[in-house]
Amino acid sequence: MALQPAAGARDLNPQQVEKNHSLSKKLAEVYKKWGYDEVSPPRVERLATLMAGGAIESKEIVHLVADEPLGLRPEMTASIARAACTRLSERPRPLRLWATGTVFESKQADEGGIRIEEKLKSGVELFGVKEVSAEMELLSLLLKSLEALEINQENKPQILIGHTEIMDLILKPLSNKERIQVKRLLIEYDHLSLERLNIKQDILDTILNFIQLRGLPNQIIQTLKQEFGKSTVLNNLERVFNHIEPLAQANGISLQLDPSFQPHFNLYNGLVFQLVCEGKSSPIVLASGGRYDQLVERCGGDISNSYGVGFSFSIDDIRELLPERNVSNQYPQKLLIAFDQNNSLEKALLRQTSCHLKGEKAIVELEPCKNENEATQLIALRGCTDLIWIGN
Amino acid sequence: MITVALAKGALLKDSVTSFANAGLDFTAVLDPDNRQLMVPSKCGRARALLVRNGDVPVYVAYGQAQLGVVGYDVLREHQMPVAQLIDLGFGGCRMAVAVKESSGYKRAADLPPHCRVASKFTHCAREFFDDLDLPVELVHLTGSVELGPMTGVAEAIVDLVATGRTLRENGLVAIEELFQSTARLVGHPLSLRLDRGELRTVLEDFRLQEKNSVEL
Repeated sequence: MALQPAAGARDLNPQQVEKNHSLSKKLAEVYKKWGYDEVSPPRVERLATLMAGGAIESKEIVHLVADEPLGLRPEMTASIARAACTRLSERPRPLRLWATGTVFESKQADEGGIRIEEKLKSGVELFGVKEVSAEMELLSLLLKSLEALEINQENKPQILIGHTEIMDLILKPLSNKERIQVKRLLIEYDHLSLERLNIKQDILDTILNFIQLRGLPNQIIQTLKQEFGKSTVLNNLERVFNHIEPLAQANGISLQLDPSFQPHFNLYNGLVFQLVCEGKSSPIVLASGGRYDQLVERCGGDISNSYGVGFSFSIDDIRELLPERNVSNQYPQKLLIAFDQNNSLEKALLRQTSCHLKGEKAIVELEPCKNENEATQLIALRGCTDLIWIGN
Repeated sequence: MITVALAKGALLKDSVTSFANAGLDFTAVLDPDNRQLMVPSKCGRARALLVRNGDVPVYVAYGQAQLGVVGYDVLREHQMPVAQLIDLGFGGCRMAVAVKESSGYKRAADLPPHCRVASKFTHCAREFFDDLDLPVELVHLTGSVELGPMTGVAEAIVDLVATGRTLRENGLVAIEELFQSTARLVGHPLSLRLDRGELRTVLEDFRLQEKNSVEL
C-alpha cells in the first residue's frame, strides 16, 4: 500500500491551499486596519502554558517526546497570552495582536488509537482592557471580518452569545457542589438529568425555564432583568448589543443571546460566543471567542492588568462552506511557453522571465515539442489558457 | 427539515408510535417491504434515518440528525456529546453482572482480582469495575455473551438483561445491577440552541405525551 498521511493530518491540494491563503489574507487585512500587530506563536509549547487556562485537558494535546513536558499547541490563545505577559509585558495596553497558523488536537479515534486533527486558525487577541469596550471592539471586528469573508445571509450566519456571569446568576441559589453539576448539565443541554436532580422544586423549575430561554438579545436581557433585577453585566450586555445589532443586521447576521450557552471550556470568564453557519448537512462553528482574564493572570500577567479577549476563525471550515466565487483569482490567465527542436529551453526560460516581469503567470514546457499543434494540445493538460510558441 | 435517527430492532415500533403521537408519522418504516434507509414523514416536515442502535448517537452528535431515539445503555457505552431530552419509558432492561449459578459468587466484589469478564459493553464494564477498585481483564465479545462463563472464556459477563430468561436457560444468574436502561429521546445540542421553533414544537408534543402517560 502507498504511504498515507497520519489520520486527521491535513494534506491539502493546491486549490485548497490557495483558498486558505486568500481567506487568511482577507482577515489579516481587516485585523491590520484595526491596528492589530501580527505575532507568530510557537507550535511547540510547554504543557504548563497550554493547560494554563484550565480549558485544555492533557488528553487533547499531542505530547512530544522530550526532556521536559512539551506538546503541540491545540489553540493559539495561551501562547499569545504568555508572550503578552512576558516579552511584550512592557508594551502599552491595550495590546492588539493577531496570528494565523495551524493547531493540533489529539482525539480518540472511533477505531481506537489516537487521531491528530490539524486545523488552520486565524484570530485576534486584545489585552489589557477590563471594561466592556473590549467586547464591543471584538464583536465589531468579528462582524467586519465576516463582511470581508463575504459570509452573508445565504450561509445563515448566527452569533450565539452567552455570559459566564449570567450563568452565575442562574446558579446563585444552589450550593457549590450543585452549581458544578447544574452548570455542566445546562451546558450539555441535558434536560432529562436536570429534571431528575434532587433540588428544591421552585429552583429546579427556574433552571428548567432557563434551558429553554434564548432569542433576540434585548428581549432576553429584559426577561433576565425581570428575574434578577438590574445588574452591571446586563447593563453592559445591553450596551454591547445596542452597538452591534445594527451592524449585524446590515450584514444579514442574526444574534442570539443564550443564558445557558457556554463552550465546554473553562477558559472564558465573561462574554462567550460562537459564530455558527448552516452547513450542507449540519451546523458548522466557524469562529469562537470570548473573555479570558484568568488565563492572562495564570500566564503571569500583572494582576491589576490581567485582561484579555479574543476570537479565532477556523479557516478550513470556512473554505469548505464558501462557494468558489469567494476566491479571487489573481492570475486569470496562465501561459504555456513551448519550443521546438530548433530552439532551446534557455530561450523559453528567458521568455518566461519577461512574462513574469509583465505580471503574467507563465510556465515552461521543459521538453521540446514536435510542432505547434502538439504544443496546443498541451494547453489544457497543463491547466493553461494560452500558448506562447517559440518555433521556426 | 428535521432529521430523526431511529434504531432498527426492538425499539423501532415504539419509537415510530412516539413520533406519530408528536405529529411526525414514520409508519412507512414499519412496512416489512420497506428497504429505504431514509424515509420522509407523511407531513413532509421531517425524515427518518434507519440506523443501527449504536449509530444513533453518532448521527446525532455530528448534527446530521437533530433528534434520535436510543437506549440509555448505548448512551452510557458510547459517551457521545448528545443532549438527553426525554425518558420515553419503553425498551426497559437492566445492565447487570452475571455469573454461572454454580460459581458461588453473590456480588461483583466477590470475583477474584484479574479474572476475565466478557461483555459487549466494555466501557460500562470498565467504569463499573474501576469504581469497585477491582482489577479485571475485559474480553470484548460481539454477541452470545452468555457463552463466556459456560465455555470458560470468562468468569463473569456484563450484559443487558430484560426478563432474565436467557440467563436462566444458560445456567447463569445476575448478581449485581449496573443501571436501568430505557429508550431516550436525544438531540444535537447546537441544533437545539439554533432551533427556530421546529424542534421545540415536536419536543412539546413529546412532553405532553409523557405528562399524559404519567397521569394515566
